[in-house]
Parts: sequence; structure tokens; C-alpha cells
Amino acid sequence: MIPRGAARFALPVAITVLAVFTLGALAVGDMWLSPARIWAGLWREDELAATILWQIRMPRLCVAVLVGAALSASGLIMQAYFRNSLASPGLLGVSAGGAAGAVVAIAAGWATVSLLLLPMAAIVGAVLSTGAVLILARRGASTERLLLAGIALNALLGAVTSYVLTSSVLTYERNAQILFWLLGGLEDRTWEHVAMAAPICLLAVVLWPLGRPMDLLSLGSREAQSLGVDVVRLRRVLLGLATVLTALATSVAGTVGFVGLVVPHVLRLLVGPEHRRLVPLALVGGAAFVLACDMIARSGGGLRLGIVTSLVGGPFFLWLLRRQA
Amino acid sequence: MSATPDILEICGATVPDRLHDLALRLPRGQMVGLVGPNGSGKSTLLQVAAGLLPARGVVRWDGRAVGSIPVVERGRMTTWVPQEAQFEFGFSVRAVVAQGRFAHGDDDAGVDEALARFDLTTLAERPVNHLSGGERHRVLLARALATQAPLQLWDEPLAPLDVRHALEVLMLARELTHGRGSTVVISLHDLRVAHCLDAIVVLQAGRLRAAGSPTEVLTPELLLDVFGVKAHNAPGLVLELP
Repeated sequence: MIPRGAARFALPVAITVLAVFTLGALAVGDMWLSPARIWAGLWREDELAATILWQIRMPRLCVAVLVGAALSASGLIMQAYFRNSLASPGLLGVSAGGAAGAVVAIAAGWATVSLLLLPMAAIVGAVLSTGAVLILARRGASTERLLLAGIALNALLGAVTSYVLTSSVLTYERNAQILFWLLGGLEDRTWEHVAMAAPICLLAVVLWPLGRPMDLLSLGSREAQSLGVDVVRLRRVLLGLATVLTALATSVAGTVGFVGLVVPHVLRLLVGPEHRRLVPLALVGGAAFVLACDMIARSGGGLRLGIVTSLVGGPFFLWLLRRQA
Repeated sequence: MSATPDILEICGATVPDRLHDLALRLPRGQMVGLVGPNGSGKSTLLQVAAGLLPARGVVRWDGRAVGSIPVVERGRMTTWVPQEAQFEFGFSVRAVVAQGRFAHGDDDAGVDEALARFDLTTLAERPVNHLSGGERHRVLLARALATQAPLQLWDEPLAPLDVRHALEVLMLARELTHGRGSTVVISLHDLRVAHCLDAIVVLQAGRLRAAGSPTEVLTPELLLDVFGVKAHNAPGLVLELP
């Protein structure tokens, strides 16, 4: 943990890092754009740069930022809710629920009817998964119970998705689209996807002031209620936020694993467990993390965002388990 | 009839398999011991009294039904200390104690005093999950003290503490009750400290068995019936703070 005095600089530092990554994401690609060209492109004074920025890099950047913030915040919420620092949307199967919902929507052809149906299907899938997690693992449940519930759900939802994939009625394009969702990535994201994920900003605003009651909840729900927290309402709001944040992120980027586990964890190690500090940091830090991972994914070699986050997050998770044991 | 209502009034409280039609009234300014064998319903009763466990029947604080009191205000009126002090996250001792001020708009009043009262000043910046069981328990008690709630419900506060800190907790409870007019309810197993208390409530199999002053209640007959032990008035080791 960094010293208490230094911790207050964490948010400015995180914002700076995000700004640098943002600039990097706009500059780097098949065609390198200097800061001067980026500036000219943003004001449409440079036609080619403007096209690259406004049609390719900016939407991708916005989706990356929104997805990162959403998944990281969702992980932070789940860790406080379940009072377990290993809880996260990916491990608990909530992401997989969102993906299954999206896949079913694509396979059924709903996604072509209206763009809105895709995130809605993802939300329904995520809500069902969250419900199942709640039944399988009560609050304050042991790590083992939570992880086992997650394994079971991930397997079940994986089977649903696999079945949809293998059922022969699907066209090649739809299968490719589904595969995209399962692997998680930000290729070919458009402003429509940004619009789909935009409610994440609103949810972040709702989450912002909940940091203080989250502190109390993360140390025990009865204790929190005894100290004056409206635990029933807080839990409902938090779980709703975590589920919808994950679903929205999943519906525009597919299943991107480990963000909700890695980012809050690293931040907690750096600045301590107080959520008033962690909530804004998780939003900014999650955005920066996904942006960085996506830049690695864009560097080529067939990498995709979901693959990069898993390559980073998998070993990190194993390290955490070892540390807990 | 007294002019001020009792700080705690419980009527017909029932929790299936745990509490049966229990009625209890506690006035202000009393230090009350809650005793009974394992599984007699002490923890359940404390949680019902704290408004944390749904139960049939009525719980009133200061004459007001708990369900009608806004949650934040409840946090100022009553506080409950659980039997087990487990922390998943490494909040500093000071941060946990300061949580006692949540219902007061996080004003930090009395936090330093609460830390000092429980010998936690030197541990204030340490993460709670690195403390020993007894130290963690003192953190919870300090947080309860910081709430300045007039009704304090402590579930076995003495069990995890060393003898000195246990005596200090009893001294503090006396100060809160006799000095500040609060009511402190303590569940406990060690009947040797019963003489420090103003009143004793005895539970047996989820029912109220007896209530009254320690000398009235803790008779050899009752001890034999409820706990299955024989009581002797033999002189033993007597401990008190210097």
C-alpha cells in the first residue's frame, strides 16, 4: 500500500495514465498519427486523419473506455457485496450469462431487427446468472462456494452457447458473429456500439456516491444495517448496477475476462480498501487497463482484447489464490 | 407508570425454532446481562432487539416501533456488536471505528476517545485483518462506543478478551449506563461477573426464564435447573482493576 498522504494523488495519476493511453490509442495503428495530425484530424482539417479517427479509432477508444470502467466497477461492487475479494463478473458467470443472452439474440436473428435487442438480451442473460449466483452462494459465502457456483454457471452457459453454435440452422456470418462475442474484442466497433454502451456513464454516476455505505457493507451486512445503512436498498441497487454494467459491457465487447478481478485488486493493494477512493479509481483504472490491453491486441498476431486480458488476468488470479492459501 | 418510555420493549417476539413469544422491557441506564445455555437464543434475541432479524411480535425503542424508524435514525439509537469479528478487507482500525459515525454524517466525533478507551490508539493505522481475535473484537466495541447510541447490544463481548480488557469493558459499560444513562445489554457465559450488572435476563430454550436483579435471579435452584450446575458461595479468585 502506498502511504496515506500519497493515496490522494492516485486519482490524478490514474486520469493522467488514462489520458496518455488515450493519446496512444489514437496515435498507434496501421497508420501512425502524430499528435499534430490527431489534432488536425479531430477538427477535420486533415481528411485522412479525420476518417481514421472519427470512423475507426475514436469509437473503438470510447467502447474500450466504457467497457473497462463498467467491468472494473462491476467487480468492485461484487467484491463488496459478497465480502470476498475474489468475486468478479467473469468468475461468477455473470459475463457468461450476458454473452449467452447476446448469442441467443444473434442466433435468433433479433440482433438484426433492432440494435437495442442485443444489449437487452445480454441484460436478461446477466440478470438470470446473477439470480443463480445469489441462490447458489449466499452473501458472505466462502471463496470455495463462490468459485464453485461460478464454475457450474460458466459450464452451463458455455453449453448453451456451444449448442447455439453447433445447431446447423445458423449461417456462417452468424457463427462468426457469435465467435466474436465469445472471444471478446473491440474490432469494428462503431458509434452505434458507443451509444449502446453509453448508459454505463449514467450508472457510474449512480455508483459514485455509494462508496461510503459500500465500506460498511463490505465488513458485514448486519453490522452495516446496525450502523444506519439501508442494507436492503443498497444491496438491491448495487447488484442491479453490477449486473447491468456487466451486461452492457458484454453486449458491445463480448466476454472480456478478469478486468473486474485484476483492477479493483491492484487498486486496493495500492490505496487501501476505502470505496470512496476506490469507486472513481476503479472506473478510471478499468478504462486505462482495457485501453492498454486493447493496444496490445491491436499490435497484431491475431490477439484479441479478451485473449490479452485473460493472459494478464489468469496468472494474476493464480497468484491471488496462492496468496490467500 | 413512568413518564419516559422504556428504551427497549419487546412483545411476543417469535423466531421459528429459536425464540418463542418472548416479552421483555428494559429501562434506561441499566447494565443488563443476558445468560442462558448454548443455543438458548441469546444471539437471536440481541439481533431481534437490534431490529436486524425479522421476528413476529413488536420491538419498540423509546416507545417507537422499530419498523417505523428510518434506518439512519436507527443507527443513532441502537448498535449491535456481533460475536465474531471477521474482516475480509484491510481497513485501518481508525477507519472501522469511524464507521460508528456513519449515521451522524461521518463527523468523527468521539472516534479518538473510543480508540483510547479500548487501547487501540497505537494500533489505529494497522489493518484490522492483521489483528488478533481479541484486538479485532475491541475494534468492534470501540466502533459501537463511537456511535454513542443509547441502546448498546453486545453479543459475548467478554469471551475473546484478556482479563484486563474484559474488566475494562465492564467498567466502560458501567460508565455508559450510570454516567450517561445508556442501556447496555451484554450476553455472557461467565456468571462470576454477574454481580457487576444491574439486571440479569435468563433464557432457556428460546423462552424467557427469569429477569431481575442478579441476587433475585441467580438462585441455586435456577442455576441447577437451567444450567445443570450446583452453585457454591466458596471464596475464589477476585479480580478488579487497580
